[in-house]
Amino acid sequence: MKTLAASPAISTAKILPGLSAIVLGLTIVLGLGFLQDSNNYLHNAAHDGRHSAAFPCH
Amino acid sequence: MADFRKLVAVSLLAGLLGGLLLSVLQHYQTLPLILAAEQFETPLAEHVHDWQPMDGWQRNGFTLLFNGLTGFGFALLIAASMYWRNQRGYLYGLGWGLAGFLVFFVAPSLGLPPELPGTDSAELRSRQAWWLFTAAATGMGLFGLILAKQRWLQIGGAGLLALPHLIGAPHPEVAHALAPETLQQHFVVLTSINNAFFWLALGALSGRLLSKVKF
Repeated sequence: MKTLAASPAISTAKILPGLSAIVLGLTIVLGLGFLQDSNNYLHNAAHDGRHSAAFPCH
Repeated sequence: MADFRKLVAVSLLAGLLGGLLLSVLQHYQTLPLILAAEQFETPLAEHVHDWQPMDGWQRNGFTLLFNGLTGFGFALLIAASMYWRNQRGYLYGLGWGLAGFLVFFVAPSLGLPPELPGTDSAELRSRQAWWLFTAAATGMGLFGLILAKQRWLQIGGAGLLALPHLIGAPHPEVAHALAPETLQQHFVVLTSINNAFFWLALGALSGRLLSKVKF
């Protein structure tokens, strides 16, 4: 019988999908929140969002 | 990777909805303060030539896009955590949303409060580094303190929660802000409330949507 209780160990089949989601999520968040481009395009577009989310901006 | 696609779909929907909520809150609460603070800034010559979105729909549109995409990114972290722990439903989601609020907003803000434009701060790179270190240490610390069973991991987790604040955030030698202090205080309070709503909504939505998906 398959148990539904949350087990502390992650089944091996679940490692890759979850890890991919985490890597994609961190890439999006850190890229939008932290990248400084030389033309300031990204910085200026993301400006209000960064200030309001407490990312260091200037 | 069928599971990965499901995680992306859930997170995209939750993130866009959460980002929309945050954008509406910001539009009426924090944007007026940002615009007011910018009145105190004198445009620097080097900045004049840079492209920036025009005030109005363009500027608001980019903020909506930013909030929707960061919402998507944060929702991916929540959805993957719940997927790994076999959790679903909005109650678990609320818990993860609260954790996200603590990791990505509260802990970094304790050292580096949300700032209005025109505030003098320490060098950007050092603040970004402290912010990242604090978020990582708080995330691992909460994990150890709440989810680990072993005593040494719980103690280590508590230590990690405190460590960034013992080191201290980088601050300028002389603090100086162009906007009045009351405006800045108002901004900190409103961003805290907005981001709390955002994170709780994002967690609840992610958890609710996850229960619609079969892994």
